[in-house]
Amino acid sequence: MTKIFTILVVMILVVGCTPPPTHLFLVTPEMPTQRQLETRRYDGIKETDLLSACANVLQDLGFQLENSEPRLGVLTVSKQRDATDAGEVILSIFIAMFGGGGMPISKDQTIRVALVVRPVNDSNGNALPDNHYVRVTFQRLVRRTDNSIYVETLRDPKIYEGFYEKLSKSVFIEAQKI
Amino acid sequence: MKRMFMIALTIAVLPLSCATTTERVLDAGDKTQLQKRSYESRIFDTSDKEKVLRAIISTLQDLGFVTDRADFTLGTVSGTKYERYQIKITVSVRSKGKDRMMVRANAQFNIVPINDPKQYQDFFSSLEKSLFLAAHEAD
Repeated sequence: MTKIFTILVVMILVVGCTPPPTHLFLVTPEMPTQRQLETRRYDGIKETDLLSACANVLQDLGFQLENSEPRLGVLTVSKQRDATDAGEVILSIFIAMFGGGGMPISKDQTIRVALVVRPVNDSNGNALPDNHYVRVTFQRLVRRTDNSIYVETLRDPKIYEGFYEKLSKSVFIEAQKI
Repeated sequence: MKRMFMIALTIAVLPLSCATTTERVLDAGDKTQLQKRSYESRIFDTSDKEKVLRAIISTLQDLGFVTDRADFTLGTVSGTKYERYQIKITVSVRSKGKDRMMVRANAQFNIVPINDPKQYQDFFSSLEKSLFLAAHEAD
């Protein structure tokens, strides 16, 4: 009995001072792949026109603007959506049937996007006129039925390909001033 | 009797690992203000504020952050990373003399402030590569 209490006391003390993992800001080998997935180059369009084409596509997708700084080519948007997943629902039913109790499942989510436009530099580090990279990152914060939350960065290439397909059309329309 | 004593001891120890609200609001870690500023800051030999801010945004994106806010006039960028855990960072840029810029970062991991100088060193190394400039320790 005394042992259990001693362990408990030690555990409480340790929990109070758990440090974050080391090397949170080191570039990992997967990061360049992710950069490639998230980035596209657009030539022959002014930075403000490109940014406005991007804002238009994000609105097409139902996002609400949270923040923008055109001088730095930044747009931050978000939207709230349902997060129910058919697979998860079926799994939770099976678990409940076999006496596993109610498993919390995804309920709703906030999808957040940061979109950044930056100039393409030549070999001397000078910006090329009307040549830009667009880089977009999708994250989501999911709330489960028990109100617990989990967060993740979205890495499915289909999301990024789908987004840039729409953006390319929007850039074309913007460039033609249709 | 012994059991009662152990329970009382456990309850007494519980609040020990907790700080008061005032301490939490004004927590600045165990280092002095100057030490903290020193490991959280670096100086770059450039006067181009826009270039530095764009490099910060780009570095944060490389590290998996979503830029929450960017303000050219104030020279600040803040970002969040979601990776099972959550990291929040704010980076600010201000000119130091005529031809140098000082960059300062502060970050938190979930609900814990990041106070390890090595973590900031990693961030500034990535920023150096993105800027093609060497970072100097602040004076």
